[in-house]
Amino acid sequence: MSGQLGHSGAARVGIGGPVGSGKTRLLEQIIPRFIQRGTNIAVITNDLVTHEDAIRVRRSGLIAPERVLAVETGACPHSAIREDPTLNIQAADLLEERFGPLDLILIESGGDNLASSFSLDLVDFWLFVIDVAGGDDIPRKRGLGVMQCDLLVINKTDLAPYVGVDLARMEQEARQVRNGRAMLMTNCATGNGVDQIVDLIAREVLFED
Amino acid sequence: MITITHILGNARDHAISQALNHIEHDGRLETIVLDQQDTQRHRLRVNTDLGNEVAIALSRNEHLENGSVLLLESNRAIVVRLTLSQWLVFETRDIAAALELGYFAGNMHWKVRFDGVRLQVAVIGDPTGYLERLDHLIAEQKVIHVE
Ligand SMILES: Nc1nc2c(ncn2[C@@H]2O[C@H](COP(=O)(O)OP(=O)(O)OP(=O)(O)O)[C@@H](O)[C@H]2O)c(=O)[nH]1
Ligand SMILES: [Mg+2]
Repeated sequence: MSGQLGHSGAARVGIGGPVGSGKTRLLEQIIPRFIQRGTNIAVITNDLVTHEDAIRVRRSGLIAPERVLAVETGACPHSAIREDPTLNIQAADLLEERFGPLDLILIESGGDNLASSFSLDLVDFWLFVIDVAGGDDIPRKRGLGVMQCDLLVINKTDLAPYVGVDLARMEQEARQVRNGRAMLMTNCATGNGVDQIVDLIAREVLFED
Repeated sequence: MITITHILGNARDHAISQALNHIEHDGRLETIVLDQQDTQRHRLRVNTDLGNEVAIALSRNEHLENGSVLLLESNRAIVVRLTLSQWLVFETRDIAAALELGYFAGNMHWKVRFDGVRLQVAVIGDPTGYLERLDHLIAEQKVIHVE
């Protein structure tokens, strides 16, 4: 598959969601699965004023460290993925230049609130990761991210019993506010449910079946 | 599955429109219906009205629009058609309410259009969500939902 669509540039997939919902953990689960499939990938992480997440992914040993770039967003994480994604677009272009033709660039947004969303100038497809421990009322609150993302990920399903969350109800309400659009449940600590995410991304933007 | 990596032109272009006329009569003219939101994408997987799967992967500087021609052969073509966006139309009671509505719409990151004293809000998905968000202004009759 490498290079087949190379002249159009790599597919770009965004991962957004509230602080601590498991975006980097999901990245760490997704990366080895794509590498195993033979997908040529690179990663961009966004942090406020540090390179914390990039350093973590580089050290993970899951991917060549030089394929992980950090973008420092300063104040508002959503500015760098929606209002003015220039820094992220430049980082993606740089990765293409250095390692291209790439198949896929994964872009983790800095942790934000429920209203954050990705510009489609920056990404072709974006995930929004929420966390069971945030409460089962999160989908009901109809945040922009929850409503508009291409795939809603409800992570940390393993924590449901400890935080008094009714998973079935959370899932049903999420389905309702999303009008049947894609949604998956995961435990990114163990990797449960991540295969389906990888399959969906591969299908929607890499055009694999 | 057909893979498309370039937009060949627009159905409005003279030479293309003639070719399309011919195909419409004697061949197979397929359309892909997209909403405004999807035209911003550079990669997407869609079906034509005849049920054929198309993988679109455009370079970052190419943009889909109404009439974009993705395939043009002697007896077959694929053209993009845009669904009309739905707009909610609002008026306000007075200038103070107009400021409040404008501020609120901006805060919600809604896409808006100005039409004299009216504010139009582009609807993505279900319109009731927008009206629910404005409930506090509509209930106080600061904002009037016109259409
Ligand atoms: N139990 C459990 N813990 C998880 C799961 N996913 C992530 N975590 C943990 O939750 C914490 C936050 O995860 P991160 O991946 O750093 O979250 P993040 O969304 O990247 O955080 P920011 O980038 O700071 O917004 C870490 O301690 C993870 O190990 C899960 O499915 N179950
Ligand atoms: Mg992170």
